[in-house]
Amino acid sequence: MIPFEPALARLRAAQGDYPMRGDMPPVSELLGRFHPDSIGGQPVPLAVGVNAGMLCQPEVAARLQTNALIDDVDIAGAETLNTDILVIGGGGAGCAAALTAAAAGARVLLATKLLLGDSNTVMAEGGIQAAVGADDSPQRHFEDTYRAGHRAADKHLVAQMALDGPDAIRWLIKLGMAFDTVDDRPFGGSLRRKTPGGATAPRILSYRDFTGLEMMRVLREAVALHRGIRVMDRSPAVELLSDDRGRCVGAVLYSVEHHRFVLVRSRRTVLATGGSGRLHLNGFPTSNHYGATADGLVLAYRIGAKLREMDSFQYHPTGIAHPAHLAGGLISEAARSEGAKLVNGLGERFVEELKPRDVVASAILRECAEGRGVTRDGQTGVFLDVPSLVREKPGILEHTLISLAHLAAKCRVDPAAEPLLVYPTLHYQNGGVAIDGDGQTAVPGLLCVGEVSGGIHGRNRMMGNALLDIVSFGRRAGAKAAEAFAEPYASRAGIGHIHDWQRQLTLAGLPLDARGPQVFPPYGNFDLASDARLRSRTAQGGAR
Amino acid sequence: MSDDKVSLVIEGREVSAPTSASIIQAYSASGGQLVTNVGCMGQGVCGSCRCMVRRDGQREVSMELACETPVEAGMQVAFVSYFQPKRPHVYDLDTLTDGWQILDAIDEVFPQAKHCRHCGGCDRACPRGLDVQKGVEYAVSGDVQAAKDVFSECIMCNLCTLACPERIRPNHLGLFVRRALAALTLRPVELMRRLRQIESGQLTVDVSAVDRPEGRP
Repeated sequence: MIPFEPALARLRAAQGDYPMRGDMPPVSELLGRFHPDSIGGQPVPLAVGVNAGMLCQPEVAARLQTNALIDDVDIAGAETLNTDILVIGGGGAGCAAALTAAAAGARVLLATKLLLGDSNTVMAEGGIQAAVGADDSPQRHFEDTYRAGHRAADKHLVAQMALDGPDAIRWLIKLGMAFDTVDDRPFGGSLRRKTPGGATAPRILSYRDFTGLEMMRVLREAVALHRGIRVMDRSPAVELLSDDRGRCVGAVLYSVEHHRFVLVRSRRTVLATGGSGRLHLNGFPTSNHYGATADGLVLAYRIGAKLREMDSFQYHPTGIAHPAHLAGGLISEAARSEGAKLVNGLGERFVEELKPRDVVASAILRECAEGRGVTRDGQTGVFLDVPSLVREKPGILEHTLISLAHLAAKCRVDPAAEPLLVYPTLHYQNGGVAIDGDGQTAVPGLLCVGEVSGGIHGRNRMMGNALLDIVSFGRRAGAKAAEAFAEPYASRAGIGHIHDWQRQLTLAGLPLDARGPQVFPPYGNFDLASDARLRSRTAQGGAR
Repeated sequence: MSDDKVSLVIEGREVSAPTSASIIQAYSASGGQLVTNVGCMGQGVCGSCRCMVRRDGQREVSMELACETPVEAGMQVAFVSYFQPKRPHVYDLDTLTDGWQILDAIDEVFPQAKHCRHCGGCDRACPRGLDVQKGVEYAVSGDVQAAKDVFSECIMCNLCTLACPERIRPNHLGLFVRRALAALTLRPVELMRRLRQIESGQLTVDVSAVDRPEGRP
């Protein structure tokens, strides 16, 4: 590994003109030898559930095969609420579903673990894909996405999303979301477009480099002001409710504020709980929100939903590597899209910066593994050469890469003068709950949208397709769920399905004392059993 | 980077932490239960970890984001939980279809805004250092573009809303102006053309294209 000072001296001497290494192995070999999915914890077959036998990332498998957090006695006598549609998750996907269902006349209850809008959506920086350019088409968008995902996605889901793109943008504008335009001409002008890694045309629409913040504050306000939507903050779902026919008929929420359970009976339940970055798979730091603990995935699998591509996760190429306390924080792909180069400790480029994310991330890991990385205060990475970009495009930090400048300041780096040290960070769950074009799962009554779902991004997601995914599928799931508003409620609603689940765990020789979902990361110092004084698990038990 | 430890008080707890740690990292590492007042954990965009900070030897309290603020010796920190106001401003953007009515709409939805007493409380409360009071003034006077720009980087932490003695809710006013402007004026021509092509059935997607070995490069 190359120490920081000489590496920096080499970078500065080259003045932005770096030779490209010529020894990049073929993509399949690069991914096989360096991607964390391949060289981290080896995938294990699931032992229980509808996907028994399917290969799954081992730390995720351990979460999926946990016992329920609660038992019948814990929710006996709990307050029960009724709603047409229960949406679990207050990010972009949940809000899009809630707004669409409410617009169709359904009563919606939206429950969220933290506060409305606390999500990965608000942290998204780069932008949203939609094929609007004359040099672009939904066909190209479909093909780029399908190929970047290594042909593992459900083609029909991808095609539908690509065709939905332009209408998703119009919907967001109608709600009051702003997008950057060329020449600042809103009426009749053109949207500013950037090229995502792996694309054949510029297709990313954005608002500065905090597109997710702009999207989330608009969606959050629209939900908060809608009379048909009731929001329950600080109310994570800890189990789903089932009837005697195995349908999903609601959920058990835990009020963190009042230390008690609330049962919500619904005609349809939409899981929009996001991803799993806070599981810190393979020991990686993460760019994810505090709440991304795979709760929805665990609950959906337990009640019988099918999963797919659970051995595939995205490590974003440019997480912060130094200083250590900011490790994992995200530097948007917008920086590379604008032209910033990646440079190793020898002053060489080693990969085309706008290859798909899994390729770029693996290439960075290769440089570090083969001793060409840069090390500073025990942290390893490669350089992201922002200073050369600033020389080429003066003013870019003030007008375009605002979040990058903000992050650099926290790193105590002047980004116009010094490169940033970057290393891949756990960013996205590529797979998830299998859905149809309306977000419906294999379990009647249960829909999934956003990062918790799978089949759209295959085995590698492109920049800008997550924000499109949540709007496209969020709206479709909301509309589909709202169709059920006249159906009668199930006569029974309980957690009977967990007893069958416990039998399966026992038969497979799995322990019953491992509980899930996790709800908060371990450093949240939260334990449901003691916080709720569970009757099933504490000697004294009962009300506080 | 220094790993020297300092002592400070967070939520009444004596905490010892390395100087490189943020307030929220120090609180979590000390065993504090972190189930609220937490969100993006360092990006500074969700506003959930807003807190009051008093630095050693200073009388003034400042408003900060706990995920972005490094700990200092002798600091005193209290998180600010936000409670939803009982009667938020209510509007339906769909009914605002006439751009000529924007000034009336601002006055109707945010009638308190014209009573700003220029106390500067909102400016001091803003952890992002936005010119909040100026933004309110722009909105009231009809300079909507200028108001839009002031609130461009607003993270909706609601600290200005908590601080305002006239109950103006400046961040929501700023967002209203931003939303109205986008909804009323943003009509990108390429997007309109593409929507027409898709809605007329002229443009579709052929999923079998990716099965052909030659494909598009």
